[in-house]
Amino acid sequence: MSDFKEAISRNWRSFAVSTWSPMMGGIMLALFAIFLEAWYRPWGIVGGIRNWADWFFYGIGFYDEAPPHPLEFSSSVLNIGYIWGAAISAFFAREFGLRFPPKIEYIKAIVTGILMGLGSALAMGCNVGGFYVALHNLAANGFLMAVGLVFGVILGVKYLYWELEHFPSSGGFEISFKKVGPYIGFLLLVGLIVATYAYFNSDIDNGEILGGCLIITAGIGYVIHRSRFCMVNGFREPFVTGEATMGKAVMISIILGAIGVSILKYQEIRPEMVYVTPTFGLGALLGGFIFGAAMVVAGGCGSGALWRVAEGQIKLWVVIIFFALSNSLIRHYFAEYEVIENGYLGKAIFMPEYLGYGGTLFLITFICVLWYVIIDWNEDSNKFVIEM
Amino acid sequence: MADVKVAPEGIKADVTLDCKGLSCPMPLLKTKKAIQKLEKGQILEVLGTDPGSKNDIPGWCERSGHEFLGMKEESGYFVFYIKKG
Repeated sequence: MSDFKEAISRNWRSFAVSTWSPMMGGIMLALFAIFLEAWYRPWGIVGGIRNWADWFFYGIGFYDEAPPHPLEFSSSVLNIGYIWGAAISAFFAREFGLRFPPKIEYIKAIVTGILMGLGSALAMGCNVGGFYVALHNLAANGFLMAVGLVFGVILGVKYLYWELEHFPSSGGFEISFKKVGPYIGFLLLVGLIVATYAYFNSDIDNGEILGGCLIITAGIGYVIHRSRFCMVNGFREPFVTGEATMGKAVMISIILGAIGVSILKYQEIRPEMVYVTPTFGLGALLGGFIFGAAMVVAGGCGSGALWRVAEGQIKLWVVIIFFALSNSLIRHYFAEYEVIENGYLGKAIFMPEYLGYGGTLFLITFICVLWYVIIDWNEDSNKFVIEM
Repeated sequence: MADVKVAPEGIKADVTLDCKGLSCPMPLLKTKKAIQKLEKGQILEVLGTDPGSKNDIPGWCERSGHEFLGMKEESGYFVFYIKKG
Protein backbone atom coordinates (compact mmCIF):
# COMPACT_ATOMS: atom_id res chain seq x y z
CA MET A 1 0.00 0.00 0.00
CA SER A 2 2.83 2.36 0.86
CA ASP A 3 4.32 1.67 -2.59
CA PHE A 4 1.00 2.71 -4.14
CA LYS A 5 0.96 5.92 -2.10
CA GLU A 6 4.50 6.54 -3.21
CA ALA A 7 3.45 6.03 -6.85
CA ILE A 8 0.60 8.52 -6.45
CA SER A 9 2.92 11.05 -4.87
CA ARG A 10 5.57 10.57 -7.56
CA ASN A 11 3.06 10.95 -10.39
CA TRP A 12 1.42 13.94 -8.76
CA ARG A 13 4.83 15.61 -8.71
CA SER A 14 5.38 14.75 -12.39
CA PHE A 15 1.96 15.98 -13.44
CA ALA A 16 1.42 19.00 -11.23
CA VAL A 17 4.60 20.14 -9.51
CA SER A 18 7.72 19.54 -11.62
CA THR A 19 8.44 21.81 -14.55
CA TRP A 20 7.89 20.00 -17.84
CA SER A 21 10.51 20.34 -20.54
CA PRO A 22 9.97 23.10 -23.12
CA MET A 23 9.80 20.44 -25.86
CA MET A 24 7.01 18.64 -24.01
CA GLY A 25 5.24 22.01 -23.63
CA GLY A 26 5.70 22.85 -27.32
CA ILE A 27 4.32 19.51 -28.50
CA MET A 28 1.36 19.65 -26.10
CA LEU A 29 0.65 23.27 -27.03
CA ALA A 30 0.55 22.41 -30.75
CA LEU A 31 -1.86 19.54 -30.01
CA PHE A 32 -4.21 21.74 -27.98
CA ALA A 33 -4.05 24.52 -30.60
CA ILE A 34 -5.13 21.97 -33.23
CA PHE A 35 -7.89 20.65 -30.93
CA LEU A 36 -9.19 24.20 -30.48
CA GLU A 37 -9.16 24.99 -34.17
CA ALA A 38 -10.87 21.66 -34.95
CA TRP A 39 -13.48 22.42 -32.28
CA TYR A 40 -14.31 25.94 -33.37
CA ARG A 41 -11.57 28.48 -34.11
CA PRO A 42 -7.82 29.24 -33.87
CA TRP A 43 -6.22 30.27 -30.58
CA GLY A 44 -5.66 33.98 -30.01
CA ILE A 45 -4.97 36.41 -27.17
CA VAL A 46 -5.42 40.00 -28.38
CA GLY A 47 -9.07 39.83 -29.46
CA GLY A 48 -10.08 38.80 -25.94
CA ILE A 49 -8.14 41.43 -24.02
CA ARG A 50 -9.33 44.07 -26.52
CA ASN A 51 -12.91 43.05 -25.80
CA TRP A 52 -12.31 43.72 -22.10
CA ALA A 53 -10.80 47.15 -22.86
CA ASP A 54 -13.65 47.91 -25.29
CA TRP A 55 -15.99 47.50 -22.32
CA PHE A 56 -13.94 50.02 -20.34
CA PHE A 57 -14.11 52.63 -23.10
CA TYR A 58 -17.81 51.90 -23.64
CA GLY A 59 -18.38 52.21 -19.90
CA ILE A 60 -16.82 55.68 -19.73
CA GLY A 61 -18.85 56.75 -22.78
CA PHE A 62 -15.98 56.95 -25.27
CA TYR A 63 -17.35 54.21 -27.54
CA ASP A 64 -20.95 54.35 -28.73
CA GLU A 65 -21.63 50.68 -29.37
CA ALA A 66 -21.60 48.04 -26.67
CA PRO A 67 -19.02 45.32 -27.37
CA PRO A 68 -20.02 41.63 -27.20
CA HIS A 69 -20.54 40.24 -23.69
CA PRO A 70 -17.18 38.86 -22.41
CA LEU A 71 -18.80 35.58 -21.34
CA GLU A 72 -20.51 35.12 -24.72
CA PHE A 73 -17.64 36.20 -26.98
CA SER A 74 -15.25 33.42 -27.99
CA SER A 75 -12.08 35.57 -28.00
CA SER A 76 -12.73 36.60 -24.41
CA VAL A 77 -13.68 33.06 -23.34
CA LEU A 78 -10.38 31.78 -24.79
CA ASN A 79 -8.47 34.09 -22.45
CA ILE A 80 -10.64 33.24 -19.46
CA GLY A 81 -9.99 29.53 -20.02
CA TYR A 82 -6.30 30.14 -20.61
CA ILE A 83 -5.81 32.15 -17.40
CA TRP A 84 -7.96 29.63 -15.50
CA GLY A 85 -5.83 26.68 -16.65
CA ALA A 86 -2.56 28.49 -15.96
CA ALA A 87 -3.82 29.47 -12.49
CA ILE A 88 -4.70 25.82 -11.71
CA SER A 89 -1.16 24.85 -12.66
CA ALA A 90 0.37 27.70 -10.62
CA PHE A 91 -1.67 26.91 -7.49
CA PHE A 92 -1.12 23.13 -7.71
CA ALA A 93 2.64 23.66 -7.90
CA ARG A 94 2.57 26.27 -5.07
CA GLU A 95 3.95 28.79 -7.57
CA PHE A 96 1.22 31.38 -7.20
CA GLY A 97 2.24 34.47 -5.26
CA LEU A 98 1.48 38.16 -5.55
CA ARG A 99 4.88 39.44 -6.66
CA PHE A 100 5.28 43.20 -6.42
CA PRO A 101 8.30 44.46 -8.40
CA PRO A 102 10.54 47.51 -7.75
CA LYS A 103 9.06 50.86 -8.86
CA ILE A 104 10.88 51.15 -12.19
CA GLU A 105 9.20 47.94 -13.34
CA TYR A 106 5.77 49.64 -13.15
CA ILE A 107 6.94 52.39 -15.52
CA LYS A 108 8.36 49.77 -17.88
CA ALA A 109 5.08 47.83 -17.67
CA ILE A 110 3.01 50.87 -18.68
CA VAL A 111 5.28 51.87 -21.58
CA THR A 112 5.75 48.34 -22.91
CA GLY A 113 2.05 47.56 -22.49
CA ILE A 114 1.19 50.54 -24.69
CA LEU A 115 3.80 49.51 -27.27
CA MET A 116 2.57 45.90 -27.28
CA GLY A 117 -0.92 47.23 -27.98
CA LEU A 118 0.44 49.24 -30.90
CA GLY A 119 2.58 46.41 -32.29
CA SER A 120 -0.25 43.90 -32.09
CA ALA A 121 -2.67 46.36 -33.72
CA LEU A 122 -0.29 46.80 -36.68
CA ALA A 123 0.31 43.04 -37.00
CA MET A 124 -3.36 42.28 -36.21
CA GLY A 125 -2.22 39.89 -33.51
CA CYS A 126 0.49 39.37 -30.92
CA ASN A 127 3.13 36.64 -31.12
CA VAL A 128 0.24 34.16 -30.96
CA GLY A 129 -2.26 35.38 -33.59
CA GLY A 130 0.30 37.29 -35.68
CA PHE A 131 3.10 34.73 -35.65
CA TYR A 132 2.60 31.31 -34.01
CA VAL A 133 -1.01 30.58 -34.98
CA ALA A 134 -0.64 32.58 -38.22
CA LEU A 135 2.02 30.09 -39.32
CA HIS A 136 -0.19 27.17 -38.22
CA ASN A 137 -2.79 28.70 -40.53
CA LEU A 138 -0.28 28.95 -43.39
CA ALA A 139 -0.41 32.76 -43.47
CA ALA A 140 2.65 34.53 -44.91
CA ASN A 141 2.32 37.42 -42.46
CA GLY A 142 3.53 34.98 -39.75
CA PHE A 143 6.99 34.87 -41.35
CA LEU A 144 7.16 38.63 -41.76
CA MET A 145 6.20 39.19 -38.13
CA ALA A 146 8.96 36.73 -37.10
CA VAL A 147 11.53 38.90 -38.91
CA GLY A 148 10.25 41.99 -37.12
CA LEU A 149 10.21 40.13 -33.78
CA VAL A 150 13.88 39.07 -34.09
CA PHE A 151 15.11 42.63 -34.74
CA GLY A 152 12.80 43.99 -32.05
CA VAL A 153 14.15 41.45 -29.55
CA ILE A 154 17.73 42.56 -30.27
CA LEU A 155 16.75 46.17 -29.56
CA GLY A 156 14.92 45.10 -26.38
CA VAL A 157 17.97 43.19 -25.11
CA LYS A 158 20.22 46.20 -25.78
CA TYR A 159 17.82 48.42 -23.85
CA LEU A 160 17.82 46.03 -20.86
CA TYR A 161 21.64 46.02 -20.78
CA TRP A 162 21.62 49.82 -20.84
CA GLU A 163 19.03 49.92 -18.07
CA LEU A 164 21.10 47.62 -15.85
CA GLU A 165 23.98 50.11 -16.10
CA HIS A 166 21.90 53.22 -15.44
CA PHE A 167 18.91 52.21 -13.29
CA PRO A 168 19.81 49.43 -10.86
CA SER A 169 16.68 48.45 -8.95
CA SER A 170 15.70 46.41 -5.91
CA GLY A 171 13.01 46.33 -3.25
CA GLY A 172 10.34 44.03 -4.65
CA PHE A 173 8.47 41.53 -2.49
CA GLU A 174 6.05 38.61 -2.62
CA ILE A 175 2.85 37.74 -0.77
CA SER A 176 3.02 33.97 -0.80
CA PHE A 177 0.08 31.55 -1.19
CA LYS A 178 2.23 28.43 -0.97
CA LYS A 179 0.49 26.86 2.03
CA VAL A 180 -3.02 27.02 0.54
CA GLY A 181 -2.01 26.72 -3.14
CA PRO A 182 -3.09 23.14 -3.91
CA TYR A 183 -6.46 23.61 -2.15
CA ILE A 184 -7.22 26.71 -4.25
CA GLY A 185 -6.03 24.75 -7.30
CA PHE A 186 -8.59 22.00 -6.62
CA LEU A 187 -11.36 24.58 -6.12
CA LEU A 188 -10.42 26.19 -9.44
CA LEU A 189 -10.44 22.78 -11.15
CA VAL A 190 -13.91 22.00 -9.81
CA GLY A 191 -15.03 25.50 -10.83
CA LEU A 192 -13.72 24.95 -14.34
CA ILE A 193 -15.68 21.73 -14.73
CA VAL A 194 -18.85 23.38 -13.36
CA ALA A 195 -18.42 26.40 -15.70
CA THR A 196 -17.91 24.11 -18.71
CA TYR A 197 -21.08 22.16 -17.85
CA ALA A 198 -22.92 25.45 -17.37
CA TYR A 199 -21.95 26.55 -20.89
CA PHE A 200 -22.97 23.22 -22.41
CA ASN A 201 -26.37 23.40 -20.70
CA SER A 202 -27.01 27.13 -21.12
CA ASP A 203 -29.54 28.78 -23.40
CA ILE A 204 -27.08 31.28 -24.88
CA ASP A 205 -26.16 31.06 -28.55
CA ASN A 206 -23.06 28.94 -29.08
CA GLY A 207 -23.13 27.78 -25.44
CA GLU A 208 -21.65 24.38 -26.29
CA ILE A 209 -19.02 25.94 -28.52
CA LEU A 210 -17.99 28.37 -25.79
CA GLY A 211 -17.86 25.55 -23.22
CA GLY A 212 -15.47 23.65 -25.49
CA CYS A 213 -13.38 26.79 -25.99
CA LEU A 214 -13.17 27.29 -22.22
CA ILE A 215 -11.99 23.80 -21.35
CA ILE A 216 -9.59 23.47 -24.31
CA THR A 217 -7.89 26.79 -23.60
CA ALA A 218 -7.70 25.81 -19.92
CA GLY A 219 -5.68 22.86 -21.23
CA ILE A 220 -3.47 25.28 -23.17
CA GLY A 221 -3.00 27.40 -20.05
CA TYR A 222 -2.13 24.35 -17.97
CA VAL A 223 0.50 22.91 -20.32
CA ILE A 224 2.02 26.28 -21.17
CA HIS A 225 2.43 27.19 -17.49
CA ARG A 226 3.59 23.74 -16.40
CA SER A 227 6.35 23.86 -19.03
CA ARG A 228 6.89 27.63 -18.60
CA PHE A 229 6.67 27.69 -22.41
CA CYS A 230 7.74 31.18 -23.32
CA MET A 231 8.09 32.49 -26.86
CA VAL A 232 9.97 35.58 -25.62
CA ASN A 233 12.53 33.24 -24.10
CA GLY A 234 12.70 31.34 -27.40
CA PHE A 235 13.47 34.52 -29.33
CA ARG A 236 15.59 36.24 -26.65
CA GLU A 237 17.93 33.65 -25.19
CA PRO A 238 19.96 32.97 -28.36
CA PHE A 239 20.98 36.65 -28.06
CA VAL A 240 21.45 36.75 -24.25
CA THR A 241 22.91 33.45 -23.05
CA GLY A 242 22.96 31.37 -26.24
CA GLU A 243 20.47 28.91 -24.69
CA ALA A 244 18.34 27.41 -27.45
CA THR A 245 16.10 24.88 -25.68
CA MET A 246 12.98 27.05 -25.79
CA GLY A 247 13.67 28.35 -29.30
CA LYS A 248 13.93 24.80 -30.61
CA ALA A 249 10.67 23.82 -28.88
CA VAL A 250 8.90 26.80 -30.50
CA MET A 251 10.09 25.65 -33.94
CA ILE A 252 8.86 22.06 -33.42
CA SER A 253 5.55 23.39 -32.09
CA ILE A 254 5.06 25.52 -35.20
CA ILE A 255 5.77 22.60 -37.56
CA LEU A 256 3.37 20.26 -35.72
CA GLY A 257 0.62 22.88 -35.55
CA ALA A 258 1.01 23.73 -39.24
CA ILE A 259 0.63 20.05 -40.17
CA GLY A 260 -2.51 19.74 -38.03
CA VAL A 261 -4.17 22.91 -39.32
CA SER A 262 -3.23 22.03 -42.92
CA ILE A 263 -5.30 18.88 -42.52
CA LEU A 264 -8.25 20.92 -41.19
CA LYS A 265 -8.04 23.41 -44.07
CA TYR A 266 -7.28 20.91 -46.81
CA GLN A 267 -10.26 18.79 -45.75
CA GLU A 268 -12.38 21.98 -45.70
CA ILE A 269 -13.16 21.55 -42.01
CA ARG A 270 -12.05 25.18 -41.57
CA PRO A 271 -12.15 27.96 -44.19
CA GLU A 272 -8.77 28.52 -45.83
CA MET A 273 -8.61 32.23 -45.07
CA VAL A 274 -9.16 31.86 -41.32
CA TYR A 275 -6.40 33.79 -39.51
CA VAL A 276 -4.84 34.98 -42.75
CA THR A 277 -4.81 38.70 -42.04
CA PRO A 278 -4.07 41.55 -44.48
CA THR A 279 -0.77 42.40 -42.80
CA PHE A 280 1.82 40.92 -45.17
CA GLY A 281 3.68 44.20 -45.51
CA LEU A 282 4.44 47.03 -43.14
CA GLY A 283 1.87 45.80 -40.59
CA ALA A 284 3.52 42.48 -39.73
CA LEU A 285 7.09 43.78 -40.09
CA LEU A 286 6.78 47.01 -38.11
CA GLY A 287 4.23 45.51 -35.71
CA GLY A 288 6.58 42.58 -35.07
CA PHE A 289 9.52 44.93 -34.47
CA ILE A 290 7.63 47.10 -31.96
CA PHE A 291 6.02 44.11 -30.27
CA GLY A 292 9.33 42.21 -30.15
CA ALA A 293 11.22 45.05 -28.46
CA ALA A 294 8.38 45.70 -26.01
CA MET A 295 7.82 42.05 -25.04
CA VAL A 296 11.47 41.61 -24.03
CA VAL A 297 11.32 44.63 -21.71
CA ALA A 298 7.85 43.65 -20.46
CA GLY A 299 9.06 40.14 -19.65
CA GLY A 300 6.22 38.44 -21.48
CA CYS A 301 4.65 38.23 -24.92
CA GLY A 302 0.88 37.93 -25.43
CA SER A 303 0.71 34.36 -24.14
CA GLY A 304 3.62 34.69 -21.71
CA ALA A 305 2.24 37.84 -20.11
CA LEU A 306 -1.15 36.22 -19.59
CA TRP A 307 0.17 33.05 -17.90
CA ARG A 308 2.34 35.22 -15.66
CA VAL A 309 -0.82 37.16 -14.76
CA ALA A 310 -2.20 33.79 -13.62
CA GLU A 311 0.77 33.17 -11.31
CA GLY A 312 0.50 36.58 -9.67
CA GLN A 313 3.24 38.67 -11.35
CA ILE A 314 1.88 42.18 -10.70
CA LYS A 315 4.12 43.75 -13.36
CA LEU A 316 2.42 41.65 -16.01
CA TRP A 317 -1.02 42.64 -14.68
CA VAL A 318 -0.05 46.24 -15.45
CA VAL A 319 1.35 45.23 -18.85
CA ILE A 320 -1.88 43.47 -19.83
CA ILE A 321 -4.07 46.40 -18.74
CA PHE A 322 -2.15 48.93 -20.85
CA PHE A 323 -1.68 46.43 -23.71
CA ALA A 324 -5.47 45.96 -23.86
CA LEU A 325 -6.34 49.67 -23.56
CA SER A 326 -3.81 50.72 -26.19
CA ASN A 327 -4.81 47.97 -28.64
CA SER A 328 -8.49 48.82 -28.23
CA LEU A 329 -7.93 52.53 -28.90
CA ILE A 330 -5.66 52.00 -31.90
CA ARG A 331 -8.00 49.44 -33.47
CA HIS A 332 -10.86 51.87 -32.84
CA TYR A 333 -9.07 54.53 -34.89
CA PHE A 334 -8.01 51.96 -37.50
CA ALA A 335 -11.72 51.22 -37.98
CA GLU A 336 -12.61 54.92 -38.16
CA TYR A 337 -10.03 55.58 -40.90
CA GLU A 338 -10.49 52.16 -42.55
CA VAL A 339 -6.77 51.42 -42.23
CA ILE A 340 -7.20 47.65 -42.59
CA GLU A 341 -9.80 47.84 -45.38
CA ASN A 342 -7.59 50.20 -47.40
CA GLY A 343 -4.74 47.71 -47.24
CA TYR A 344 -2.31 50.05 -45.48
CA LEU A 345 -1.04 47.20 -43.28
CA GLY A 346 -0.38 44.82 -46.16
CA LYS A 347 -1.96 41.98 -48.09
CA ALA A 348 -3.60 38.75 -46.95
CA ILE A 349 -1.39 35.98 -48.33
CA PHE A 350 -2.50 32.38 -47.90
CA MET A 351 0.67 30.55 -48.88
CA PRO A 352 -0.94 27.42 -50.41
CA GLU A 353 -2.47 29.67 -53.08
CA TYR A 354 1.06 30.19 -54.40
CA LEU A 355 2.95 27.09 -53.23
CA GLY A 356 0.25 24.47 -52.72
CA TYR A 357 -0.20 22.75 -49.34
CA GLY A 358 2.87 20.53 -49.83
CA GLY A 359 5.08 23.43 -50.85
CA THR A 360 3.89 25.56 -47.94
CA LEU A 361 4.50 22.82 -45.38
CA PHE A 362 7.92 22.25 -46.90
CA LEU A 363 8.74 25.96 -46.64
CA ILE A 364 7.55 26.24 -43.02
CA THR A 365 9.44 23.08 -42.04
CA PHE A 366 12.58 24.17 -43.89
CA ILE A 367 12.70 27.62 -42.26
CA CYS A 368 11.91 26.25 -38.78
CA VAL A 369 14.52 23.48 -39.08
CA LEU A 370 17.06 25.99 -40.41
CA TRP A 371 16.49 28.30 -37.43
CA TYR A 372 16.60 25.22 -35.12
CA VAL A 373 20.04 24.29 -36.49
CA ILE A 374 21.32 27.88 -36.39
CA ILE A 375 20.40 28.43 -32.74
CA ASP A 376 21.73 24.98 -31.84
CA TRP A 377 25.07 25.92 -33.44
CA ASN A 378 24.91 29.27 -31.65
CA GLU A 379 24.61 27.46 -28.29
CA ASP A 380 28.25 26.39 -28.66
CA SER A 381 29.61 29.22 -30.79
CA ASN A 382 27.72 32.09 -29.05
CA LYS A 383 27.98 34.04 -32.31
CA PHE A 384 24.67 35.82 -31.75
CA VAL A 385 25.18 36.52 -28.05
CA ILE A 386 25.17 40.25 -27.34
CA GLU A 387 27.85 41.01 -24.76
CA MET A 388 26.99 43.14 -21.73
CA MET B 1 12.95 18.47 -15.04
CA ALA B 2 14.83 17.28 -11.98
CA ASP B 3 14.27 18.98 -8.66
CA VAL B 4 16.54 21.92 -7.96
CA LYS B 5 19.65 21.09 -5.92
CA VAL B 6 19.28 22.07 -2.27
CA ALA B 7 22.03 24.29 -0.90
CA PRO B 8 24.13 22.81 1.92
CA GLU B 9 24.01 24.62 5.27
CA GLY B 10 26.56 27.25 6.16
CA ILE B 11 27.42 28.76 2.77
CA LYS B 12 28.86 32.23 3.26
CA ALA B 13 28.24 34.56 0.33
CA ASP B 14 30.64 37.33 -0.69
CA VAL B 15 27.97 39.39 -2.47
CA THR B 16 24.15 39.48 -2.23
CA LEU B 17 21.90 40.40 -5.14
CA ASP B 18 18.26 41.33 -4.48
CA CYS B 19 15.96 40.26 -7.33
CA LYS B 20 12.80 39.91 -5.26
CA GLY B 21 9.62 40.82 -7.13
CA LEU B 22 11.37 40.77 -10.50
CA SER B 23 10.15 38.53 -13.29
CA CYS B 24 11.99 36.95 -16.20
CA PRO B 25 14.46 37.98 -17.66
CA MET B 26 15.62 40.49 -15.03
CA PRO B 27 16.83 38.02 -12.33
CA LEU B 28 19.07 36.23 -14.82
CA LEU B 29 20.35 39.42 -16.44
CA LYS B 30 21.17 40.97 -13.06
CA THR B 31 22.89 37.75 -11.99
CA LYS B 32 24.93 37.72 -15.20
CA LYS B 33 26.00 41.29 -14.60
CA ALA B 34 26.72 40.86 -10.88
CA ILE B 35 28.94 37.83 -11.35
CA GLN B 36 31.16 39.75 -13.78
CA LYS B 37 32.34 41.86 -10.84
CA LEU B 38 33.35 38.85 -8.70
CA GLU B 39 36.74 37.16 -8.49
CA LYS B 40 36.99 33.49 -9.44
CA GLY B 41 35.89 31.32 -6.49
CA GLN B 42 33.80 34.02 -4.82
CA ILE B 43 30.16 33.24 -4.04
CA LEU B 44 27.12 35.22 -5.15
CA GLU B 45 23.78 34.77 -3.42
CA VAL B 46 20.70 35.78 -5.40
CA LEU B 47 17.41 36.48 -3.63
CA GLY B 48 14.43 35.99 -5.92
CA THR B 49 10.72 35.24 -6.11
CA ASP B 50 10.27 34.28 -9.78
CA PRO B 51 9.59 30.50 -10.07
CA GLY B 52 11.27 30.62 -13.49
CA SER B 53 14.62 31.32 -11.83
CA LYS B 54 14.62 27.77 -10.45
CA ASN B 55 15.25 26.57 -14.00
CA ASP B 56 17.03 29.58 -15.47
CA ILE B 57 19.81 30.10 -12.92
CA PRO B 58 21.06 26.48 -12.59
CA GLY B 59 20.83 26.07 -16.39
CA TRP B 60 22.79 29.26 -17.01
CA CYS B 61 25.48 28.28 -14.46
CA GLU B 62 25.98 24.97 -16.24
CA ARG B 63 26.34 26.67 -19.61
CA SER B 64 28.59 29.49 -18.48
CA GLY B 65 31.09 27.59 -16.34
CA HIS B 66 29.96 28.75 -12.89
CA GLU B 67 29.14 26.30 -10.12
CA PHE B 68 25.54 26.23 -8.91
CA LEU B 69 25.91 25.41 -5.21
CA GLY B 70 22.18 25.06 -4.58
CA MET B 71 18.98 26.80 -3.57
CA LYS B 72 17.17 27.24 -0.30
CA GLU B 73 13.69 28.54 0.44
CA GLU B 74 13.22 31.33 2.92
CA SER B 75 9.92 32.87 3.97
CA GLY B 76 8.59 34.53 0.79
CA TYR B 77 11.68 34.15 -1.41
CA PHE B 78 14.35 31.74 -2.72
CA VAL B 79 18.10 32.05 -2.28
CA PHE B 80 20.40 30.76 -5.02
CA TYR B 81 24.15 30.29 -4.40
CA ILE B 82 26.58 30.55 -7.29
CA LYS B 83 30.36 30.14 -7.17
CA LYS B 84 32.11 32.03 -9.91
CA GLY B 85 34.02 29.69 -12.26
